[in-house]
This record gives sequence, structure tokens and C-alpha cells, in this order.
Amino acid sequence: MQGIRNNQQVKQFRALLKDPLLLVVLLFLIFFVVVAILLPILSIVRESASDDGRPLFIRYLSDPVYQGIIWNTLILGTLVGVIGTAIGFLFAFVQVKLNVPFKRFMHLVALVPVISPPFALATSAIVLFGRSGSISRGIFGVRYDIYGLDGLVFVMTLSFFTITYLNLRGMMEALDPALDEAAINLGANRWRVFRTVTIPMLLPGIASSFLLLFVEAIADLGNPLVLGGNYEVLATRVYVTVIGLYNPTGAAVLSIILLVPSLLVFVVQRFWISRISVVSVTGKPTGTPQTIENPFVKWGLFAAAMFVCLMVVLLYGAILHGAFVNVPGVRWDFTLEHFDFVINGIGSQAMRDTTVLSSIATPIAAVIGILIAYFVVRKQFLGRDLLDFGAMLGIAVPGTIIGIGYILAFNTPIMIGGVTIIPKLTGGQAVFGGALAIVLVYITRSVPAALRSGVSSLSQIDPAIEEASVSLGADSARTFRRITLPLIRPALFAGLVYAFARSMTTISAIIFLTTPQTKIMTQQILNEVENGRYGNAFAYCVILVVIVLVAIGVFYALVGTNTGAERRVKGR
Amino acid sequence: MEEQSKQVLLKLVNIVKEFPDRSGRGAVRAVDEVSLDIYDGEFLTLLGPSGCGKTTTLRLIAGFEMPNQGKISLEEKDITQQPPNKRDMALVFQNYALFPHMSVFDNVAYGLQSQKMPRAQIREKVNSSLNTMGLGGLGDRRPNQLSGGQQQRVALARSLVMEPRILLFDEPLSNLDAKLRVQMRSEIHRLQRSLGITSIYVTHDQVEAMALSDRIVVMNKGKIEQMGTPEEIYHYPKTRFVADFIGRANFLPATAKAVTNGQVSLSLLGKQIETRAPFEMAAGTEVTAMLRPEALLLRKDASLPQAIIEQAMYLGTEIEYLINLDGTTITIADNDPRRQHMFAEGETIGIDFIPEAVHLLPE
Ligand SMILES: Nc1ncnc2c1ncn2[C@@H]1O[C@H](COP(=O)(O)OP(=O)(O)OP(=O)(O)O)[C@@H](O)[C@H]1O
Ligand SMILES: [Mg+2]
Repeated sequence: MQGIRNNQQVKQFRALLKDPLLLVVLLFLIFFVVVAILLPILSIVRESASDDGRPLFIRYLSDPVYQGIIWNTLILGTLVGVIGTAIGFLFAFVQVKLNVPFKRFMHLVALVPVISPPFALATSAIVLFGRSGSISRGIFGVRYDIYGLDGLVFVMTLSFFTITYLNLRGMMEALDPALDEAAINLGANRWRVFRTVTIPMLLPGIASSFLLLFVEAIADLGNPLVLGGNYEVLATRVYVTVIGLYNPTGAAVLSIILLVPSLLVFVVQRFWISRISVVSVTGKPTGTPQTIENPFVKWGLFAAAMFVCLMVVLLYGAILHGAFVNVPGVRWDFTLEHFDFVINGIGSQAMRDTTVLSSIATPIAAVIGILIAYFVVRKQFLGRDLLDFGAMLGIAVPGTIIGIGYILAFNTPIMIGGVTIIPKLTGGQAVFGGALAIVLVYITRSVPAALRSGVSSLSQIDPAIEEASVSLGADSARTFRRITLPLIRPALFAGLVYAFARSMTTISAIIFLTTPQTKIMTQQILNEVENGRYGNAFAYCVILVVIVLVAIGVFYALVGTNTGAERRVKGR
Repeated sequence: MEEQSKQVLLKLVNIVKEFPDRSGRGAVRAVDEVSLDIYDGEFLTLLGPSGCGKTTTLRLIAGFEMPNQGKISLEEKDITQQPPNKRDMALVFQNYALFPHMSVFDNVAYGLQSQKMPRAQIREKVNSSLNTMGLGGLGDRRPNQLSGGQQQRVALARSLVMEPRILLFDEPLSNLDAKLRVQMRSEIHRLQRSLGITSIYVTHDQVEAMALSDRIVVMNKGKIEQMGTPEEIYHYPKTRFVADFIGRANFLPATAKAVTNGQVSLSLLGKQIETRAPFEMAAGTEVTAMLRPEALLLRKDASLPQAIIEQAMYLGTEIEYLINLDGTTITIADNDPRRQHMFAEGETIGIDFIPEAVHLLPE
């Protein structure tokens, strides 16, 4: 009996073979995942397991300096995970359970960090709270050393808590208010309900938020580079090992060390937490959620959330302001010099290159993500879960590692039997000045989000609707184009927005791939920051955000967020 | 149906369909060696309890599932491996499966557009189909702006406009309320008879099946229990399962006394009767006599076997009695409108029956 399921899958696969178009698309998707994601990761594994690599594991793991770096990384991840989850929880709680003013404002503030380069906040924090910061020094008169763990935790929690907030908010809204009512009905007070019902029900969400933040934090390269100071973490060490020491083997070994906790978290997330959360959130909520009226609790939480908002607004305000002044923190006269540099000057190449490459990668990533989602949800075939898993690795693996993987995998052309299958993508004389590799990385990093939103959107569509189309004589391509795609339009829109924002703001994955011919904004921002030209950096940031916002507008106009199935308002 | 018009249109031979079970190690046989001929122009219903494999059989015919074994042919052409969009059939879904993002008009036009039919012709066909279905003027609406009955009509129009060789229905009326269901039932009946389109209909509602069908196929646990006209199935069920599933039935044990020329004589409820022997039997064979509730009568007559009325329910069209005859509960339906009075619960009464209505089943 053991073989029946496989047998069944083989049968289904044969059915797939009969539809040549489906088969070609599926093979392309598999090819993409293998080449763009698995091959680079495998290259790192191979390099680290080479004769040069293996001894390095022992050397690094027994060297107190490296042990310290590993500790630093784990501590940073844990702190950001805990504090970021707390802030996300706070924001979600305020939105769902409190009846207070400015909720819309808080929501928007929480969304801002998604579309800004991750180290914009770090730079801004230096200008505001650093040794000569306009707030720390200017107002309080202290020479605060923001470099190091404290500054990193501060900046990273504010940069990353959005995802936690959205996650937990979704879960809180899905919680059945009847549960609260039942508990109250049984004589529990609000605090007891919170402790014994709300928190346990949200535990999977809280755990998964913590893990997500943990991975984001240990994978982040931009913030530690700008704000780390002497506090070294694995990601920066990897960076130094490649850029400073030209030691790709050492970098590969460190990458594997960094990869272990990241992948562990990803696997736990995928196979354990997702299973629990399915059980805990049940069906449609009935009744209205009760709001909390205790004034101390209510206004206390409100004040805490507003304080976080204030911080975010301050930091982003400083970016916007700093872009228009001569030397932020030192000379405050108004100038358009920085914008001139970015838009017309030497900085403009990065702006153009980044926008063009992101624009190429975005639709491809969204389409690949949606197509994989389609196969994962709707088709039965051998290796379905592997395809899903492989595609998700694009984001589960830290960007730095993807970058090194690309260097290792594509520094020479890949030939099979004397025929070039994949040309040289990275380093000097790479095709298109390395642009192809960068586009591939952008796609790799963006596919997972499109895939997940595609999966959740598709699982809500009754397969009978697609079968009806087939029953009426349409083939799979026509059914996908005319029925499936319009119905998952919101997921496509989300995928596009995410892919573009991700591509424009990513640094860790492409920092090793830029060449003199191809300039990338995030990398330029980093250069400007490292050389203390904060004004230029801020101008870049502002323009980057503007480009992303314009792109969102364009996607909205082109794709929209309506499926056309929404209930129309009567009388219109 | 006359003999010569009985052209086999669709043929199922020894169809087996297995699904992996929950553990993924074993298999569930949803359809178990089903063979079936469907004649041109007939209305055939697959009837059976939940989970008996009706939907799976229909989906195998439509091509949405591939059989593990067996062959399906349409007009003597093997279509077992043909993809569903190439089969000249249209399926009407239980939950309608209308395209929610398209207008009613576009829903109905969808299949014709796949065929690359000229626009003007599509417009004409769709409009006439909408009018036939009483949906004239609703072409611009979205499905979610229609009532359940209207949505069902759109689903029907969408399939009918394709003029398919075979129309397939999977419990199309089960989402409608009782009144609407009866109304749509007669509409489907009228349409099918006037268009003469071959139809295969899945339901677990025996009244619906009898009202609509030329032939009924009763399924149980993936197998065909019995095939026949509604009358055959109702009056001459082959098994207890079929007798029970199609309406109410009383089962009384009896022993064959003498068998001659396919006729058997036996004694039942104090009467000597002679009836057809529907299967091989000899004198002394234990059999079960089936009597429908309306074939039994209650009478104040001391010469008849006496029983006690346990429950009497007035249902408007009939009075239903549950009576206790020597420890067995028997259902009796009295639908004689001339009878004005009801026997009271607890009353002792004589039982009579119509001998011609007795049908024998294997023990
Ligand atoms: N895709 C599937 N995967 C696994 N098992 C299935 C699948 N489809 C049907 N089955 C199983 O096959 C059996 C027959 O199912 P089917 O849907 O054909 O029943 P049905 O007669 O239509 O029942 P109902 O009246 O409830 O619709 C059931 O045991 C069902 O659980
Ligand atoms: Mg069914």
C-alpha cells in the first residue's frame, strides 16, 4: 500500500505531461528555482566543504573572536525579536482592541519602514542621537555613543516591526470575539481574559513574529555596517571577509554558520508553527470585538504607541529635512545640491540603473511567484513541496549568503559538454556588467512574497470555478488568463509592490555584485554614509521612496486591487 | 423509449477510481468497477447516499478525474484520456461556480468565446438563451447581484448555450430552498424534454430523481446496486438497500410454499397470496416481502391480524401510522382523502394489504 500515494502523484504528473504548455511552464519554474536559488546555495556548501574550507570551521568556532561575533549575532537577533514583537503586538493591540484617536495615523506610520532603504533609519539615528546628534547633543547636551548594540536594536526594531504588526493584527482580527465573551461570561476579568485566552491563542503568531524578526536581524547587513561600530556580527564579518580579505572560502564557511540558525527558524516556522496556527484560528468571527475601557491601560498603551510613532516620524523627518540642508547636523542652510547630485550629477547613474533593473525584475518576480503558487495550490506533481520550499529559500536565506553564492556559482560560465548554459554573471567581464546577476537576485528575493500572497489568494478560490471554465472548453492557459488571474489580482498587485520595494531597497544580496558599469542606489547610499556625506545619502533615500511610491501608483493604475467580483454598491 | 431509438451514446466499462486515504498509505475506492451505458437523449440519474461515489463518477465522465482502470467511450470513440475541455460535455456545478468577476452576459458567452465564434452570433445566442431562462434584462448584472435561483439559471444557461452532446449536473438544486427547488426541478424537466439533450444528473434526493429521470442508477459504496426506470426501482427493488433508499419500505419475513413457472405462493399477514418470484427460489426458501406504506390498510375487522397503533401523524396529504405488530414496527400511509377520521394512538386495529403490491427480496 505504501506506493499508492506516489503512484497517484505519478498519474497526476502524467496528466500534466499531456498539457504541453503547463509542462513547459513548470519546467521553467523548476529551472529558475534550481539555477537562481539552489545552485548558489549549493556552491557555498561545496566551497565550505572543500579541503580549504573544512578546517576553517574548527578554526572559527574555536576562536574567541569569532565566538564573540556569533554571540553578538544571536544576542542582537534575540533582542530585536523580543522588542520588535512587543512593539508589533502593541500596535496591533491598539488597532484591534482600543478605541482611541489617531489609529489611522499609527497604521500609516507603521507602514513607512517597508519602503525605505533599511539603513536610512540608521543614518538618521546617527544624525539625531549620535555623538553630535541634534537631539542627544543639541537638546540634552550629552555625547551619546549610539554605535553598537543599543543603536542597532533601536534602529532595527523600528525598521522591522511592520511585518509583526500586520501579522499579529490579522490574527487578532480573526480571533473569535465569542471566545472573549464566553470567558467574561464565565466570570473572568479583562486581565484574566487577556492572559488566559488572548495570549495563548496568539502564541503561534507571537512565536512566528519573533522568529521572523530574529532572522531579519541576524541577516541584516546595512544597519550593522553603518551603526555597528565595534559590535561585529556575522553578516558584517562575512562582508569584510569578502571585500577586505578577498577570502571567499572563509566567507562561505561563515555563511554556513549564519545559515544554520536562519534555516532552522525557517523550517520551524514552516512545519511547526503554521500547523498550530491553522488549528487556533477558527472560521468566521461572530459578534463584535470588545474594546478595553480601563483608562490606565487604554491611555498607557496609547501613549506608548504614540511614542514609537513619534520616533519613526522624527527619524524619517530628519531624513527628509537632512536632504535639503548643507551638512545635516552641522550646517543647516537650505540647499538643493544633494538632489542635484542624485538627479543630474554623478549619482544619477545609480538612480537610473536601480530603477531600470528593479522594473525589469518586478513583473518577472510577481509572475513567477504567482505561477509557482498556482502549481502548488492547484496541481499535483512529484516534488511540489520541494518547489515551494526551494522558492521560499530565496528569502529564508540571508541576502549576504545569496550574494556570495552568486559570486561562487556564476564567476565562471557554466558549461555542459562544451556548450555555455549560463554565461559568466558576476565579477569583471560579466554579461551586461553584472546587471543580469543583480536582476536575478532581485527576482530571487521577491518571488517568496508573491508566492505566499498567491497561495493564500488561490486557496480562497473554489476550484470549481476553474473547472467550470475548462468544462466550457477553455484550455489551461485561457482559464488561467481569463479566470484565475483576474480573481487573484489583489495578490498580483501585492506581489508587484513588494517586489519593487524589495528590489529598490535591498543591499545585502547585491553588495558583492555591483560593478563599475552597474551602480545601485542602496550601495551608493552606503558609500555616501561611510564618507560622512549624509546629505547625499538622505537625498538618495528621499528619491528612492518617491520612486517606490510612484511605482505603486503605476501598479495600481495598471493592475488595480479589484477583482471585479466585489459586491457593487446599490444605486451606483 | 422504443427499442430502436436506444442508441448508446456514452459507455463506461469497468471503471475504477481510487483516492489515497488520509494517512496517504492506503487507498479509498470511490468508484468500484462501474459499467454503464447511457442512451442518446435520455435523462439518467445517479442516486445514492453521501460518499457513495456519484460525484466522482460524474467527474470521471467530465474528465476532471482519470480512472485507475476501465474505459470511457463517447459514440464508440475512446475518450478515457481526453482532457475535459476537449469533451463535448458541460457540467452544471452544485454551487453554480459562476465567474464572479464577469457579468451574467459574459458568463454565458464565455464558452462560445473559447470556440472563437463571431461576436454577433455570440450576442444573439446568449441573449436568446438568457430569454429562454427568464433572465432577459439581467445580462449586465454580476452573479452576486442575483438570487440563488437566478444564479442557478445562469449556470444552466451557460452550459446549455454550448449545445453540448451531454449535460452533466452535480446536485444543482441542493443549495435552493424547498419551494424553489421544486420549481427549478420542473424547469429542468421541461428544458431537457424539449431540447432532448442527453443528461446525467447526480442527486441524493430520491423524489428529485424520480421526478426527472428516464432511468435511475442507484449507487452504494462505489458500486451500482440497481439500474432501471423510476417505476422499476420503486416497485421492484433488487435489494433491501435500494428499497430502503427509494422511499419508505416495510420488510416482513416469509417462506415460499410452492414455486411454479416463476410464480410463488406464500402466506403473509394471515393471507395466502401468489406473486412473481424475482429471483431463483424453491419451496421452503426464506424470503423478505417488501410492502410500501401506501400498500397497507387499516381496518376495524377482527378477522384480520391485530396490531396496536403506536403513533399517528397527520401530514395533510396523508396520515402516517406507526403500528406495532408482534414487536415489529410497521409504517402505514393512509392517503385516502375520503376518510375523515384518524385512528387514535393506542387503538387496536386490523391490518390488511394489497396483494399485488407485494415484492419479494432475498432474505
Ligand atoms: N479528491 C479526493 N481525494 C480523496 N478522496 C476523495 C476525493 N474525492 C472523493 N473522495 C472520496 O471518495 C468517496 C466518494 O466521494 P464522492 O464525492 O464521489 O461522493 P458523493 O456520492 O458525491 O457524495 P455526496 O453526496 O456527499 O456529494 C468518498 O469517500 C470521498 O471521501
Ligand atoms: Mg457529491
